[in-house]
Amino acid sequence: MVVNPLNVSRRSGHLYNRPMADTQLKEKVEELIADNPVLLFMKGTPEMPRCGFSMRVVQVLDAMNVEYGAVDVLPALQPLREVTAEISEWQTFPQLYVNGELVGGADIVNEMFESGELAEALGVEQPAERPQPPAAGQTSPLQIE
Amino acid sequence: MIRAALPGAEVEVIDETGAGDHLRATVAAPQFEGLSRIDQHRLVKAAVKERFEDGTIHALSVRTKQPQG
Repeated sequence: MVVNPLNVSRRSGHLYNRPMADTQLKEKVEELIADNPVLLFMKGTPEMPRCGFSMRVVQVLDAMNVEYGAVDVLPALQPLREVTAEISEWQTFPQLYVNGELVGGADIVNEMFESGELAEALGVEQPAERPQPPAAGQTSPLQIE
Repeated sequence: MIRAALPGAEVEVIDETGAGDHLRATVAAPQFEGLSRIDQHRLVKAAVKERFEDGTIHALSVRTKQPQG
């Protein structure tokens, strides 16, 4: 059941001008956050990040060797900003969620990676090496239905 | 502005581009104690929200610390 997120905004008509976040989209985002212990909202995909900050978080997660879900926010950027603003008071991407809670964006993830707090939050060992560029095909991006 | 919202905070702001709209702020505030990093960042971003809305700032990179001593 993979549907382009753009369908959501088309169904809703004037979504881009509405102050409130789209309810259906919000429910789907909440579902994704609940279903994926480690979930990254990013610009692009782990294989092809479309933003340096998103790429950095992908590198960190790959270095951590954890399984994670990734959502490309670009097809529905503005609606997703509104949704995440309501869910977690944060509207810039990337956003990393661990066990249902927003951990942070690229700045925080990077700081927590360097301090070892991220490994602790993820329940994994701190990797000995600096993160390497991601290997292709390790994770497949999720789509918002 | 950050200092006004977080009394007692030590704030250092670096203008990354020279144009004054891409800033890097390092903030140490007593209010951060016991907060997660994301909540610390939320406090800082809330303090400068107005400047984002009126377009004075386009990008703000934040680093938060607990105050020394």
